[in-house]
Parts: sequence; structure tokens; C-alpha cells
Amino acid sequence: MTALVSIRDLSVSYRRDKSEVAALKSVSLDVVAGERLAIIGESGSGKSTLALAIAGLLPRGAKVDGGIAWYLRSQPALGAKAPPSVLPDISPARGEIMLSSPLSPITDIAKEERSAKLPISPLAGEMSGRTEGGVTERQPSAITETELPLLGRDIGFVFQDPSASLDPVMTIGKQIAEVARTHLGFTWSQSYAKAKTLLERVRLPDPDSALSAFPHQLSGGQKQRVAIAAAIAAGPKLLIADEATSALDTIVQAEIVALIQRLVAEDGMTLLFISHDIALAAELAERIAVFRHGTLVELGTTGQIVDAPTQAYTRALLDAHIGLDAEPLLDRSGLRR
Amino acid sequence: MSLLAVSNLTRRYNRGGETVAAVHDVSFAIDPGETLALAGPSGSGKSTIARLVLRLIEPDAGRIEFEGNDFLALAGSALRAHRARLQMVFQDPLAAFNPRATVARVLDDPLRIHGIASRTERPHRIAELLERVGLPVDLASRAIHEISGGQRQRIAIARAIATKPSLIVLDEAVSALDVSVRGQILELLLDLQRKQRIAYLFISHDLGVIRAVAHRIVLLDAGRIAESGNARAVIDSPQSAIGKALVAAAPRLDRTMQDAS
Amino acid sequence: MSALHRFLRRPEAVAGALILAALFAMAVSAGLLFPGDPQSIAGPALLPPFQDWSLPLGTDRLGRDVLTELFHGARTSLAVGLAAAAAALAVGAVIGTLAGFTGGLTDEVLMRITDAFQTVPSFLLALAFVSVVGPSLGVVVVAIALGTWTGPARVARAEVLSIRERDYVANARVIGMHPLAIAFREVLPNALPPVLALSSVIVAAAILTEAALSFLGLADPNRVTWGGMIAEGRTVLRTAPFLSIVPGIALVLTVLGVYLAGEGIVETTAVRRGLS
Repeated sequence: MTALVSIRDLSVSYRRDKSEVAALKSVSLDVVAGERLAIIGESGSGKSTLALAIAGLLPRGAKVDGGIAWYLRSQPALGAKAPPSVLPDISPARGEIMLSSPLSPITDIAKEERSAKLPISPLAGEMSGRTEGGVTERQPSAITETELPLLGRDIGFVFQDPSASLDPVMTIGKQIAEVARTHLGFTWSQSYAKAKTLLERVRLPDPDSALSAFPHQLSGGQKQRVAIAAAIAAGPKLLIADEATSALDTIVQAEIVALIQRLVAEDGMTLLFISHDIALAAELAERIAVFRHGTLVELGTTGQIVDAPTQAYTRALLDAHIGLDAEPLLDRSGLRR
Repeated sequence: MSLLAVSNLTRRYNRGGETVAAVHDVSFAIDPGETLALAGPSGSGKSTIARLVLRLIEPDAGRIEFEGNDFLALAGSALRAHRARLQMVFQDPLAAFNPRATVARVLDDPLRIHGIASRTERPHRIAELLERVGLPVDLASRAIHEISGGQRQRIAIARAIATKPSLIVLDEAVSALDVSVRGQILELLLDLQRKQRIAYLFISHDLGVIRAVAHRIVLLDAGRIAESGNARAVIDSPQSAIGKALVAAAPRLDRTMQDAS
Repeated sequence: MSALHRFLRRPEAVAGALILAALFAMAVSAGLLFPGDPQSIAGPALLPPFQDWSLPLGTDRLGRDVLTELFHGARTSLAVGLAAAAAALAVGAVIGTLAGFTGGLTDEVLMRITDAFQTVPSFLLALAFVSVVGPSLGVVVVAIALGTWTGPARVARAEVLSIRERDYVANARVIGMHPLAIAFREVLPNALPPVLALSSVIVAAAILTEAALSFLGLADPNRVTWGGMIAEGRTVLRTAPFLSIVPGIALVLTVLGVYLAGEGIVETTAVRRGLS
């Protein structure tokens, strides 16, 4: 198992008027390269804050403690001797990030990393056939050792509300092409060709005319497909879907989940799937992390979490799920006629 | 006799010059104390039907009979008086209340408008309503935006039952709630149904929840009825294409990644 | 409390508030510090400022105390400015709410009337109204409000159009609330913030319009006004420029103070709304 992102003692709090509200309390979690990890929790669990912290999207004024280490180029095995490149996730210029562990000079890390070999893990082996496409596409933007992970290039982010994340007055083609142009160094015509390929990959009907369409001309599900296309345009290593299907109806939700699953497999991306729905997460993820009140309650493989949860809270979440096989409440209440 | 009988309801709207039917020739009936679910994908017309039944929008054709009256023939003060018997709970309890309102004012409004209690009696009735939905009485002085989402939805239910209605339209009323809160709200709704014989028009996209609380179901697709019948029977073996698609798309805990691999 | 803190952290807002506070103090203390008729003769004519410390800002052509006139003029400026702005905002908000909430024919009629008022320059409208009805404090207030209520009406209508589609308005209908009660209890209070944001501009404009009307002699002859003082000093502008300059500076400072304080309030409340 190799980590792509290693989160250590991450605490995030927001200032609201005069009091400080803790959104995450000392969370440690490794996101394994190539895995599909679901973060689930109810409102106020801190799951979205975690997604924003990893993507470097925390609002200004958020107080951050602890570290997020990235292994973007090489991927040292977990617990290896090499000092992790403990890089502040959020633009360090803001000066609001405090690292609990002492930083080793970045140049040293670079040397270590360059000499480190790509360890072959069972997971990486599984994915090897599928990763090549993604990797070659990424070449033009050669990640230098000292660079921080960049949203759009290294991280793709899909938000809950596609209408809010797409620019209403820019054509869909341009929104996707812009990502490719910015991060892959393409010309505009190359970028538009890339955008068209991406629209085909996300199965948008009639990708040719969609290129020049505006977001309001599409349905909610189609908009989310476009948002996904833009998120993966630069071939990111990590795709974060933050409640990406919550605003959609059940049928469209299933389609989008299937789409994310297919794209992640094809490009060898790591997936961080944030959701309030434990059943949905279980259908998609290999591992599930259960959050509550800003702390990590339980982490395990999907099978462990669903079939043998160790924490009462996980048990309660599973029990609260009302599936198609649940005993109708009507029967219990004696209202069945 | 049915409590609510909707027949041949049609509502059209204009989209880019052409007329589209949001609801087309829809008929159904609800008995007293019964829960009828309206399900379907987004754009299937379920929320439009809710708004038609509540006379928030007017139909282009069809009849709505409620408690034996021609509901569409009512207007002005007669319609406002009849609204006491037909209430609604919205999906987003924060958007459903005036952002400046307090809990007390939200519950005072229906009591005052329908002359249910005198000015001196009303604080007492508000306390009763709060107790009825399982909330502490001292919540009355709080502002709506200060309380939690689950508490807000309980307030919405308290407001809806304040006028002793025979039918409540629940428009995705539990969809925005955390799962742990959702269970409690469903229990509360069933408890009210049992004790006060309230009928529900339960609008939801979640077949699991519908199967748990509804007696009958009407499945909608593109504004038309695709299938209807006993909720459990329809969901356990859907006949229509949309029914099959909805059932297949429902997230299930027994279909995890582990089983797939 | 925290809104006050944010307000206090804006130096320009604090400066505006201090100017306004000084102006209010002048208006309130005018009767106490300078009792009696401000237009009575206090000393020799055309005494320059800083010569006689009992008449620190000097006297005008008729020997009236400029400082006394300045204090009493502050009363008129503030009273007319605030009353006219309040009337314009109230009328505008009510008409805009009715138009936006009712829609249809009512909306059409109300908005065409609004158009008609907006096509006439507001100063000409005020001028014409005062000339016909005759100059008195109340008439001046109405005259100024006549030309300024259209702005608040349009802003209120636009806001109401968006608010009337919200769930809580539907909810009010569901519980059987009367449409007028919905318009004025549920909708109007929530449409007010952007309308009130116009108030600093409207108060400032009303004070200037009042001064302009007074300058042209269309003010209540029994009251001292800054505009009237400037007009009075105009005839001796070469020999005694301070007679026009002193009230002129007061006018500029007042408008500046109203504007800065108003913007400060709008900004701090906007920050609060943005956060919630």
C-alpha cells in the first residue's frame, strides 16, 4: 500500500463572530494511491472540510493545524524511512498553516524522492494497464519537485451543485478547454479537441454541439457530467467528489456514480468520494471512513464497515438506512391496512 | 368516499415557444388516514402536482375534489378558510420559513388566521404543539435560523397540524435531513397519522422511504402516471420501465464493492 | 455588537458618523445655545469672522449672527433631508412591493406611473411643486420626495419579484394568510435591506435639493436654511466671501458625512449577510 496523500493530526476550525468552531479535530488518514475511498458522515461531521482541506480550498480565516503530505511523483511505501514531503496543502503564503512536525528542507526531499524507486504494490499492479493513458497525458506539465499539488492539474474537484461550479456565460467547450490549456500547455485548438474527447468520455449526448452550448441548456445530470469532464481534463491523480450526486435524482445519481467509477478505473485515478449516504458509498468505494463531529470514527474496507462495524455510530448509520428490503415502518406502527 | 380525488389534472407550461405538459391527465384518490406516495425522476411532475393540489398554481384542465367540495371552485376568503384542512411540509425547512421569524410566530400565524385560539390562549396552544412534535416548550422564543434542521422540520410539522388538517402534502419532507433525524421524523409522521387519522400525499424520490411509510404509490414519468398500486407490491416487482429503473438505481447496502469483486 | 465592531474598523465610516453626530448636536443644541429668533439682528453688519468672540463667525448684511444661523440651518437641512428620504423610501417600498407582489395589471399601471415620474428631472419636479403650492417646510419635503421615490420603488419591486417565489411565501399562502398580509408582513421586511442601502444617497440628494430650492428662494421664509444663507451672501461675494463659504462648507461636510456613514452601514450589514 502506498499513500498518495497522508493526513496527520489535521485540525481545522472556523471563526464565527467571536467563537471558534472546530470542523476537524486531529484527523489522521492515508489516502492510498489508486484506491476509491469514501468519506461518509452527517451534516457537521467535517467531511466536506476534509475535502476542501485536501484540495486547498479552505476559506480564508480557517485555522489549520497539522499536515497534509503529498506523494505526487514517487510513492514511497507507507512508513518508509524517507521523510515525507510535508507540504502545507493550502497556499503557504497565507501563513495560516502550522505544521506539527518539523519540516525537512524541501531540496532534500526532492533528492530522496528522485532516488526512490516506484514500489510495486498489489494495487498499483492492478491498475498498471490502465494508468498509462493518464500518465502520458500529464507529461507536458512536468511536476517539479518543489511544487505543491495544484487544483485542476493534480486534483480534480466535483462539487455538489454543478450550476454553481460552471460559469453560466461561458460555453461548455471553453470551460473544459481552459483547464486543458492551463495545465497541459495545449493550444486552443488542441484544448478544444481534448474537450470534445472528454465530453465523449463522460457520455454527453451530441458532444459536438455541446461544445458551444451554455450550462443552462443542459439538465442537472448533464451539467454534472460536464463538471466531471472539466475536473479530469488535466489528468489529475486524485478526483474528489464532494456530494457530487446529492442534488440529482436516484436514476441520474446511479448513472453519475457509474460514470465516476468507469473514469477512475480508466485513468487510474484515486477517488475520494464524500457522501452522506452509506449505501451509495458502499456501492462505489473499496474503503470507507466514517466521520462524526469532526473526528474519524471508523475506517475500514467496505466489507468490514458494512458487515462488521466496530463502532456504535457506524452501526446506527447502517440501521438508519432504509433500503428496499427494510421492514416497513407501517407494519411496526400498526398502520398497515 | 375519498378525501381527495384528483381527476384528469393537466398543467402545461411554455418552454422556448413550445407548450410542454408538466402534468398530463393525472388522476388519483387518497382515502382518510392513508399515505399515497408520488414518485418519479426529477421533471416527472410530482412537485407540480403537489402545488396544483394546494392551489399554489392553477391547472389547465381537470378536477380536484377535497372533502366533497369542488376545490378548484373556491376563491378568496372561502379558499383561505379551506386551506386549514389541507397543509404542506416543504423539503428545505430553512427556506420554508420567513428568515426573520421566531418559532412562536411561525406557530402563532395559523392559529391566529383561522381563529383557532384567542390571543391569550395562543401561547398555551403553541406549547401544546411543540410538545406534540417532541420539542421543548422553551424553543418558542428562539429564531428559526438558530435551531437545527431536524428541529426546524418538526416545527414545520407542528405548523402544518396546528389547523387540524385532514391531508398534509409532504414534498420531499425528509430528503434534506440527516439519516438519523429522518427516522425520527418518519416515526413522528406515522404517530400523527395513527392518532389523528391524517392522510399524507408523500412526495419522494426515495423508494426505500416510500416502501417504509406509504400504503399506495403512484409512479410518474414525464408528467404521466406510469404505474400505481400497493406501495410494497409495486416496489418489490415494478412493471413499468421507470419503476424498474428507479428500483435498480436505489442504493443498496447488500450490493457493496466487496460483493462485486 | 460585532456589527458595531466592524463599523468602527472602517475609518471613513467613523469619520462620517462623527460628522453626522456633530451635525445632530448642532441641530439639537441650536435652541439651547442660541435661543430666540435666529434672524434677529445681533451686531454690526458684515462683521468678518474671528473679530468679535461673541460673534465668532461674523455677521451678514443685516447684522445677523452667522454662527446662530449655521446652527439653526443644520436643523432645517437635517429635518428636510431625513423627512424627505423617509417619505421617498416608504412610498417607494410600498409601491414597489405592491407592483412586484400583485403582478399583472396593477404592476403595469404602477410601473408606468413610476416611469412617468422618472422621466421628469426630479429637481424640476420639486421646483414646479413648490412654486405652485407655496414654500413651507412640509411642501418642500413632499416636493423632494416626489422626485426620489422611484429609485426605491424599482429596487423594492426587483427584490419582491425574487422573494415572492420563495418557499416561505408559498407556505404563508398554504396556511391561508391574506395576500396583503403576505406582501407586507412576509415579503416587504425581507425586501428592505437593498432599498435601505439607497438611503444614504437619497438623504444626501435631499439635503442638496433642499439647499438648491432655498438658494432659489423657494424655502420657508420663516426658517434659516444653508441654501438661503449662500444666496444671501452671493450679493456681497467679493467683499464678504465668508458669508457663502461658511454654509457651503457645512453643506459639503454634511453630504459627505451622510454618504460615508451610510456606506459604512451598508458595507457592514452586507458583510454580515454574506457570512450567514
